[in-house]
Amino acid sequence: MNTLSDMARGGSYLIDLLTFFLTSAGYYKIFEKCGVKQIYALIPFVRDYQIGRCADREDDGKELAVLAAFLAVVYFPMQFLQYNNKLLIIVMIPYIALQIARLMLHIRVYLGLIKVFEKKKLWLLGFLFIEGPVCILWGFSDKFMPNKKVQNFSDQGGARETGAVVDTMEDGLTVNIDKRTAVEFFRRKTLLKDIHLSIPKGHMVLLLGGSGAGKTTFVNAVTGYEKADAKIELGTRDVYEEYGQMMYDIGFVPQQDLMRGNDTVMLTLSDAATLRLPSSVSFIERKKRIDEVLDQFGLAAVKNNLVEKLSGGQRKRLSIAMEFISDPTLFILDEPDSGLDGVVARGLFEKLRAIADEGKIVVVITHTPDRVIDLFDDVIVLAKDSTRTGRLAYYGPVSEAYDFFGKKSMEEILLSVNQKDEGGEGKADEFVGKYADRINGKVG
Amino acid sequence: MEKTQKMHRGRFSQAIIYLGKLFRMFLFQSDWKVLPMSAVIAGLVCVAVGSNMYKTMEGTQMGCFALSCVCIWNGFFNSIQVICRERAIVKREHRSGLHITSYLAAHMIYQAMLCALQVVIMIVVCQAMNVTLPSKPLVIPWKLADFAVTLFLITYCADMLALLISSFSKTTTAAMTIMPFLLIVQLLFSGGFFSLPKEAQPFTNMTATKWGLTALCSVGDYNSLPMVSIWNNALKMKNVEVEGEKPIEEAFVYLEENNMKEQFLMQSAQHNQKPEYNFDDDIVYSCWLWLLMWTCVYVIASVVILEFIDKDKR
Repeated sequence: MNTLSDMARGGSYLIDLLTFFLTSAGYYKIFEKCGVKQIYALIPFVRDYQIGRCADREDDGKELAVLAAFLAVVYFPMQFLQYNNKLLIIVMIPYIALQIARLMLHIRVYLGLIKVFEKKKLWLLGFLFIEGPVCILWGFSDKFMPNKKVQNFSDQGGARETGAVVDTMEDGLTVNIDKRTAVEFFRRKTLLKDIHLSIPKGHMVLLLGGSGAGKTTFVNAVTGYEKADAKIELGTRDVYEEYGQMMYDIGFVPQQDLMRGNDTVMLTLSDAATLRLPSSVSFIERKKRIDEVLDQFGLAAVKNNLVEKLSGGQRKRLSIAMEFISDPTLFILDEPDSGLDGVVARGLFEKLRAIADEGKIVVVITHTPDRVIDLFDDVIVLAKDSTRTGRLAYYGPVSEAYDFFGKKSMEEILLSVNQKDEGGEGKADEFVGKYADRINGKVG
Repeated sequence: MEKTQKMHRGRFSQAIIYLGKLFRMFLFQSDWKVLPMSAVIAGLVCVAVGSNMYKTMEGTQMGCFALSCVCIWNGFFNSIQVICRERAIVKREHRSGLHITSYLAAHMIYQAMLCALQVVIMIVVCQAMNVTLPSKPLVIPWKLADFAVTLFLITYCADMLALLISSFSKTTTAAMTIMPFLLIVQLLFSGGFFSLPKEAQPFTNMTATKWGLTALCSVGDYNSLPMVSIWNNALKMKNVEVEGEKPIEEAFVYLEENNMKEQFLMQSAQHNQKPEYNFDDDIVYSCWLWLLMWTCVYVIASVVILEFIDKDKR
């Protein structure tokens, strides 16, 4: 009996091994066609991720690789357990669950691959039941060619760099970001590079950039929320070194109105004040500050209303007031006008202008800048260069930006630096280089 | 722009602020509904299994298991959505200086109060429905105190487990999907009610139901109770004839005529006693410690997970 089960087990190993080799050979050639390093075909787990990339389903590939790794962890102990061992039954439960999940992901990835290779969906059955031979056929036959290749962006190349470090501005914000990288699924990506600028107090700055240009990464790096290879100074204080203190001197208003709907306006502001103001501030001073902010943002009349009952504009003003309560020096707002009509948005930006005029630095991200552009002093234009890294394409007065880009509106400027596959003109590298030359020229 | 070093609110003050928020949510966001729900569930359990609880071995085990399940259910529902439903807000507030430990401490205090109220409600419902409850004090010298503490610890342990799920779930849907799975694990791996293979026994240590069931049986002096299942099963066979006679029926008549039924029930109980359910304070302490230990594990895991909330994608 034992001999029989041993033989069955041996046969199963042989089939698994054969499938692995055939699939590896097939993947080797498929990866070549898709522009992925062929050596990955021989590395378990990594190849699952790479086949996901070939299928234009990178996220599924990631999950598939993680699942394959988990399955391996569960699979090997199972080999040492006897068939009649009850522990085997317990281990089998997660094994079966993981196998089902893996099958579903395989179906998604192979459907993606079929789409990229422009073949009939019937091929899915082949991948599922005779994976090895089908992979060999798809890899070695010239009849099976992908309609697009995997894009590999290296950190090398891209637009010219300035490398010009900006001197500390005692009365303003100084940003010197060399690089901001992130590791995602064993790959290091450069998200931002070579951004050097300084913003004086009292300026309201527009932060412009297309999708994925690194606006949020830039803001997070500047506020110290996600540290970069950089030196950020607010006045003469280093934001990174004194983050525990500086976080209260920097206000960040997110795009969504993240507040508890069942609290009143007064309670929301009161809790924000208690959290953000120094503990040395007395109750009376805190109350006075809350009243000031309520007046400043036109919320005094609705202070006893529940947040969920406020209009979109009121809610947005409350969201801003929550951050403004601590009287921050640097104030950053992510699309404060989203969901607001033109008149309400204009009113909101006028309030922000007034805040800047008090001697604060206000940085605003917005996708509809032209209706309020007269309120801004400067503009920062971020763009994805050819290596898909966020770069500084321009920083300076709004009026000069039009000449620099040769455009008549901010939306046209944005279009000119956006990549062609995003419907833009794809001139990011050109303007990043032009700006670098301009800065280097100024520096000498 | 030069500012001197300023002190901001510490962890304790922040916890108090959040505690206030949670109590406002309790009143205004319908979180109070878990209280009447616990009364209804306790009432249903009392109707179903309350009649023999703490009267017979079988009734006690079944009733205690059902009560443990009610506690688990209450605990899960108290907190399964509380963090994930406001995850984005917590992320924003963490960015503005919120300490995760304060946030969770506020939840722990608030949930402890909620669990305590639910336990009081459960006991009141049980008493109102004339369910027998443990009468002898074991660890704490007050009637029902051991029973109440055990119910509280089971509920609180389940509550903190649900808080952990809520901490790592990105959405309420995800949390509510995981919950039934964990509920089944808690029920199946209680160790006392369902027979499990020997190899699976170590897994039972991970469930609040096991420690809760053991402690509830122990405080109710399970091993001193009569066993009725042998009597009842034998009674079903009283008409079985052997060589024209009915020996089982005769035995029953004999036992009842001589008032020996109680003695029989106690004797059959003696042969089926479970040492783990002894009326022993060491056993109850041990169960409470296990429940507290798991509660701490869940809380620590929640803190660690929530500290990474900044890594959430937009």
